[in-house]
Order: sequence, then C-alpha cells, then structure tokens
Amino acid sequence: MSSRRRTTALIGDDNTVVVAGKRLTWRTLHKLPQLPSPAAVLVDNGADALAALRHHAVHGTELLVATESRVDERMREELGESGFAVVLPDGAVTPARLKRVEESGRAWLLTSGSTGRPKRIGHTLESLTTVTADQPPRTWLLPYSPGTYAWWQVVTLSLTQADQGLVVIEPHELENWPAIAAEHGVTAASGTPTFWRQAIYRDADALAGVPLEQITLGGEPVDQAILDQLRELFPATRISWIYASSEVGASIVVHDGKAGFPRSWLDRDPHPERPVVSVDGDELVIRSPHHGAGLVGAVRTGDRVEFDGDRVLITGRLDTDEINVGGSKVSAGVVRNVLMGHPGVSWARVFARKAPLVGRMVAAEVVPNRSLGPITDADLVQWCSTRLPDYGVPRRIRFLDEIPQKETLKSDV
Amino acid sequence: MGEVMTAQGRALPADDTADLREIGFRSLDFSELALRVEDELGDELNFDAPGLRRIATVGDVLDFIEQLQSA
Repeated sequence: MSSRRRTTALIGDDNTVVVAGKRLTWRTLHKLPQLPSPAAVLVDNGADALAALRHHAVHGTELLVATESRVDERMREELGESGFAVVLPDGAVTPARLKRVEESGRAWLLTSGSTGRPKRIGHTLESLTTVTADQPPRTWLLPYSPGTYAWWQVVTLSLTQADQGLVVIEPHELENWPAIAAEHGVTAASGTPTFWRQAIYRDADALAGVPLEQITLGGEPVDQAILDQLRELFPATRISWIYASSEVGASIVVHDGKAGFPRSWLDRDPHPERPVVSVDGDELVIRSPHHGAGLVGAVRTGDRVEFDGDRVLITGRLDTDEINVGGSKVSAGVVRNVLMGHPGVSWARVFARKAPLVGRMVAAEVVPNRSLGPITDADLVQWCSTRLPDYGVPRRIRFLDEIPQKETLKSDV
Repeated sequence: MGEVMTAQGRALPADDTADLREIGFRSLDFSELALRVEDELGDELNFDAPGLRRIATVGDVLDFIEQLQSA
C-alpha cells in the first residue's frame, strides 16, 4: 500500500450488515483476496460488493464495482485498456493491459445507461458521502444494484455513520423483500418509484408490515400518485424524494410529500454545501458540490422540466419526453402522471408511436390495479380526455400483466 | 372506423360519401385508426408509401387504409 493513499474513518464499521440472511458487520464481512488497484470488481452478489467497497475504504485503492451482467465483454476490454485489472465473481483476475499509476481513493461509477452505453464517472468516498449530518439510528434496506449511484449513497451512509445498519436484498429476493425487511427490522428504505409500485402491486399488506420510518424515492421521475399511495400506507413515515445522478450527485431533496420541487428553489444564491438548480429552456441544469470528477460548473442534466403553478416537475429525459403530435407538443411524463392518477392503474409507460398525418401519436402501456376490478382502454381514454388536451390523450393503450423492472430497479418510463 | 367513432361517443354514418369534417372525424381519429390496423396486423405499416392524397370522405379513409395494408 502506498503511503500517499488516503483512508477514510469507518465510523460505521460495527454497523450490522445482513447478507443472505446472515447477520454480520462491515468489519466481519469476508475479505476479498489480493484485490489489485486499479480494479474493476464484477460481482454476482451484494456481499462481495460490500467487501470490495470496504477494502477500497480501508486501503484507499482505485475501484470500480458493478454487477457482472452490466459489464459486457467489450466494456471489460475497455476497462483493461484503461488500466483496470478486471476481477470476476469467481476471483479470476484479468490483468490490466495498460500499466498506470493508480488514482488513490478514486471510486468509479457506471451511469445507469438509460441514455445509451454506460460511461464511467469518477468520485471519491467523500464526494459520494452526501449525508453528513447525524442521523437517527436506522436499519436501511439495500435493494440497489451494486455500483450504481443510489447503491453508493446507501452504503456510504452505513459505512460513515453510527447506527446505520444494512439489509442487502439480492435480485432473486426482490419479489419478497417486505417479508425479509420486516424480519430484520428495516426502518428505512430507498427505491425507485417502480420499485415501490411493484411492492404495492404485489402485496400492499406485506409492505405495510415493514416498520418504515423513512421512505426515499429516486432514480426516476416521481409522480404524485405514488407519493399519495405510500402516504396512505405509511401515515406517520417521513417520505422523501431525491433527484440524484452519477454526474451531479444528490442535488434536490424534497420532504413535503409533493411531486416536483418549489419554484423558489431555482437560481438561489450559491452555497458551498448546496447545489444551484436552474432551468435553461426546458432542461434542468445543476451546479453541484457533489459532482463527479471533471464535472465542475453547470451540468446540463438532459432531464426535462415543466412548471405547474409554484412547482417544478421533472417529467423525463429531454430526448424522449416531448412528443410532437402534428405540431402540438405534449410531455410523456405529464400524460404518465395523469394515467397513474387513475385509481385503477398501478403503473404506466407513455411513448410516441409513428402515425400518418400527425407524425407521432401518444400511446401507453398500463398495468391495472388488480384489486380494483377491470378497467378498459375506453375508461382510461375518458379519464385522460377530461385532464389533457386531445392530442395528449393516449389513443392506443396496451395492458400488461406485470410491472416491468430492470436490474437498476427502473422501468424506463 | 366505427370503433374509433364509438370511442369518441359518436356513430359512423352508413354512407361512404359522408364528409369527414361534418361527422367530426379528425386527423387524430384517422391516425388512431391506422394504429389500430397496425396492431391488428401485428406489423408496422409504411405510412409514407401511399404518398400525399386528399382524404375527405369516409370512403377515402377506407381506401387509404386498404392501400396501407397492401403497401
């Protein structure tokens, strides 16, 4: 280990970590043998990812951690050419093709890839640790895929703060996570809106049995319907939503139970600990102290916003959110919010379909709420017709049996 | 075409010469009809194939859809 390496005080080293039903602590997690640096550690389970992270935190190594499935052969070659030894789940190591000096303490994240091929964003444990104020004792659910920004947010909180336990949920446990969470006394959970919708859709009673004091949503546009549904199940729980990305870090945090954020938060005076949020045209622009390496200054997020009274709603990606129907423009996110406001709808995706005369038409896929009886496309067209301009009403609606969810817990809405 | 009209709370006239403007069949309705046909066939239609033409009556719509299907 180089004497120039930086180490981080692991205040949470004795916090409980539950993996595969076993109750451990960060300190008693298994150790990964001979982890090189720089290393891209590809994992097939949450315990190995946590072990890699702790090794990085203790030794100040350069690390990229991700699930094996997110890093294809081409990307592994690119990593090797960029100086990373690639460590596979079985421990096999492919040495780096490029020999270079490590960047001490550098943690690399892969973007979610929703805009195309995942790219690397450089951080450090410090830049990823955005929760620094003392927190009430909590046990956090960790359903996120290792190596994503949201995963780093939860694990750095647990590693750097006292009394912040973790319960790791592996992909095969996602369908049954409320039971596992209840068994291990989870009191705080962070997930995408799709993740929360799935949980309500599968078994709302089981979800309500988890003693949650803190619910956090992020990673996708957060609509009022999901906030309201969670509030109904958890009347006394603090419900927050966070706008965060690998590029700008956690930048907007809202606790008032409403979708969007107050318009008065735009263009506030610069503050060393607080991001400056602004809108250029209809794009969200953020200047953040939690940004990734090389992303100093204002970052165009690629996310589209709409104003609704005194709130600013984040409706979706700029390149896909706006649908041009014969010259009239409508936000897919706004249409989606209207659909998901229907009590008979558990989930919806809105998109453009090529059509004659008007160029594009609004279409949708919907998962109905089984407990409320059948709904028809005509019901939904009528619901939308009273809430949207005629060109924004989805005329073609396909019903799905299950809420689609990717490894990142998102559903590409 | 009848289904599209019914979904809008209107009825399709029996006469193919009925004027689209008079019966309130707009471009959005026409587009919806094309997408319904596409879904029915389970295949993407080439909307550019028939080229520009005047579509003014119920009969014109039906001809256009027929052309799309055979394109």
